[in-house]
Amino acid sequence: MRILRNVFLVAVGLYFLVPLLAMARFAFQSVPVVLLTPEKLFEGWSISGLLEVFSNPEFQKAAITSLQLMVLSIAVTLVLLLPVAALVEIRAPRMRTLMAGITLLPWVVPPIALVVGVAATFRNTVPWFLASPYSLVPFYVLWALPFSYRALDAGLRAIGARTLYEAARVMGASTFTIIVRVIVPNMIGAIIAASVLTAALVLGEFAFAALLLKETLPTFMAEFQRSEPRAGMALALAVMLLTALIIWVGVRVLRRRGMELQAAGV
Amino acid sequence: MRRRFDTATLVVAVPFLAFVGLFLFVPTLGLAIKAFTPGGSLGFSAMQRALEGSYRTAFINSLSLSLTSALIGGVVGLLVALSLHSLSRPKWLRSTVDSWFAVAAQLGGIPLAFAFIAALGTQGIITKVLGLAGVSVTESGFSLSEFWGLVLVYLYFQIPLMFLVMMPAVGGLRRTWAEAASIMGASSARYWRSVALPLLVPAFLGGLLLLFVNAFAAYATAYVLNPGAQIVPLQIRFLLQGNVITGEQDLAYAIVLWTITILLASLILVALLQRRTAKWASA
Amino acid sequence: MADVRMIGVRKAFGSTVALSDLTLEIRSGELICLLGPSGCGKTTALRILAGFEKPDAGTVEVGGEDITSVPTPKRGFGMVFQEYSLFPNMTGRANVDFALKLRKAGAAERKETVDRLLTITGLTEHADKFPHQMSGGQRQRVALARALASQPRLLLLDEPLSALDAKVRDSLREEIRRVQREVGVTTLFVTHDQHEALAIADRVGVMSQGVLEQLDPPRALYESPATAFVAGFVGTVNRIPAERVDGGWRVLNRVVPGRPASEGASLAVVRPEQLAIDMDPAGDGRVTETTFLGPLTRAIVHRTEAPLIVDVLTSEFPTLAAGAPVRVRLRDDVDDVLLIEAPKPE
Repeated sequence: MRILRNVFLVAVGLYFLVPLLAMARFAFQSVPVVLLTPEKLFEGWSISGLLEVFSNPEFQKAAITSLQLMVLSIAVTLVLLLPVAALVEIRAPRMRTLMAGITLLPWVVPPIALVVGVAATFRNTVPWFLASPYSLVPFYVLWALPFSYRALDAGLRAIGARTLYEAARVMGASTFTIIVRVIVPNMIGAIIAASVLTAALVLGEFAFAALLLKETLPTFMAEFQRSEPRAGMALALAVMLLTALIIWVGVRVLRRRGMELQAAGV
Repeated sequence: MRRRFDTATLVVAVPFLAFVGLFLFVPTLGLAIKAFTPGGSLGFSAMQRALEGSYRTAFINSLSLSLTSALIGGVVGLLVALSLHSLSRPKWLRSTVDSWFAVAAQLGGIPLAFAFIAALGTQGIITKVLGLAGVSVTESGFSLSEFWGLVLVYLYFQIPLMFLVMMPAVGGLRRTWAEAASIMGASSARYWRSVALPLLVPAFLGGLLLLFVNAFAAYATAYVLNPGAQIVPLQIRFLLQGNVITGEQDLAYAIVLWTITILLASLILVALLQRRTAKWASA
Repeated sequence: MADVRMIGVRKAFGSTVALSDLTLEIRSGELICLLGPSGCGKTTALRILAGFEKPDAGTVEVGGEDITSVPTPKRGFGMVFQEYSLFPNMTGRANVDFALKLRKAGAAERKETVDRLLTITGLTEHADKFPHQMSGGQRQRVALARALASQPRLLLLDEPLSALDAKVRDSLREEIRRVQREVGVTTLFVTHDQHEALAIADRVGVMSQGVLEQLDPPRALYESPATAFVAGFVGTVNRIPAERVDGGWRVLNRVVPGRPASEGASLAVVRPEQLAIDMDPAGDGRVTETTFLGPLTRAIVHRTEAPLIVDVLTSEFPTLAAGAPVRVRLRDDVDDVLLIEAPKPE
């Protein structure tokens, strides 16, 4: 049983590792596969292509746009969603089922579908809205909802938000004060989890941005890949690993607080 | 006296609901209206055409691709969660898997497709290694642009997604349940069949739904691997970006509306199944 | 029913010794409590009996049969856990029934047994609820019924009451005792609560740091503790300096026979109810605090030495209050005391 499990884990590990290694080889070794022989395995490795990308002004612009979108999406998520989640939990628990249902709906209208609807409505009525890359923010917030709401809801329940609220209420604090000074500091772990999940979505979303012709990191990478396959691959790999590293730090912080990074289901 | 609605809750709920309404319901409603008014007048012709010919093939392909990758990814993801849960060391393994899977779960994109091309494409390194070992990937009939090739690539984000969904549920299995079953005389297999698996079913169903939706909407990966693939997201893109022939836009609206209908139906189906299988949690 | 023996059982987790050479016999039909602070090894002993842990050395026997390497499911025991051991996907009734299904009992027998057990444990009304709909007390009743359903050779109770509130705890404790007698099942009950242990057990084993310090009926344990640890852990005690004299030990006003627990022992262990006070304006003690305990009143008496805790009959001292000058004496009916070593100054 134990052997079976370990074999299985190693097989899964290989499945996840091999494409990455193949990608890394292609990105950093300038020897075509056809000419690759065991003797040439260590020839022609270089990361200069990747370093050049970083000084590419278009890359910098796209990266900055994506980071801005990420920060804005997290901010909007927290400002818009956190108070609702908190108040539903502590003052109107009967609305929890409703909230759980509403926050699942973005699943039903994925980017490739919503982009058609957006084109059909906003393009004619408020064309200026779609002109800015920031118009992506509300939609990213929307698609992160199923994850971010569940992360926040789990956090609220874990800290016993209702009891905290009542305790603070007895001491005469206002609802606003309680949320900002009592609830939020106690559920920092859940807030990190919701932010990390939102960030991962923003940094990876391609279809919506591409079809709305917005220059974000994923769309830049797709474009760049076409002209510079090798450096493009290197960039894609670097971005994936960097994102993983950031999340890894987040996971460690959460773990120290006894929490898990989770994408709760329905 | 408790009021039916709480003022403070309303104050924060209204902007939130308005947000969802404006950015989710308005566009969806807009395209639904257009789908039912092809050429400007009420009619079902667009909705009907969206299920004919090559579009019908696209829906069938997308459904089977999504179902297959969701089922395989779901089972493997669950098994990974179970295996890792029973493994306490090495310590770095869990946080590494957690972080990498959180990234991989969102990797429906172009880098993923290229990673697989670099490994298993005609010029891929694995193809080459296998070739040296006397196994020809191309002659075996396997291709990244065909059905099973797409499934293999989709699993790269499906397995991690299921893992992320199942991990809390698997972590919620208490050791005392296994011990209680054991002391009552139950074999380990019996414990899994009668206690652990039934407890995991609701989360697993929710995960399957997420995987299905995810695969149905996946766009960039398929686009790189096979731009001409007959699947729904690529059809939508084709219609959106193609030259606007009269009626083609309406067809795009209709296909999207059918897509939303399918996804909504699967959401409702899963919710009903969950209610049946999780009587013990809600009743 | 069978008698159960642990002989020379040793268990260490890494460098921590959980059990060092535990020998324990539970007679057929008897209820033994293992009592001790957390980390004393009582839970390890129970888990070794259950087969969840393998002992490093020693054997476990049931009815003369060596079961040390028999896997848990084949031991034929029943167990009630601290909490959360009911299967959440089954109703109370289904939880009990599951135990019978595992024994491959027929449908009619199952129904009859489940009904009987639910009646014994007073659960008939709530049996069709799911665990999360039940109160803590109801859940533990189901757990007890479930543990008894397979007619276990040995019933193990792992702090079954510690997650419950005080009132439920007391009534369920009585209930467990009654059911255990009725069924006549050999039982090991692990707890850290001395009141619980004294109230429920035929014999109580006090454990400390992996060693069974004393195994005796509750009364014997209370009245003649064998070691300083037992004396301190069970009940409240005063430690009074005693002086070796001809014919025994001088404790306060009297000379009594003593049982030194070790060489150099010089502190007499005296229960609050073994002391008495006399109102005496010239007394060397002064009451600093009184607590009304119903029929008894507990007084803290300060003297030149360490303060003493004295329990007196409320009816004898109805107006005893802080500030009263008193003299503390050893009661006349105390005919022997345990002597322990003075703790080393830190």
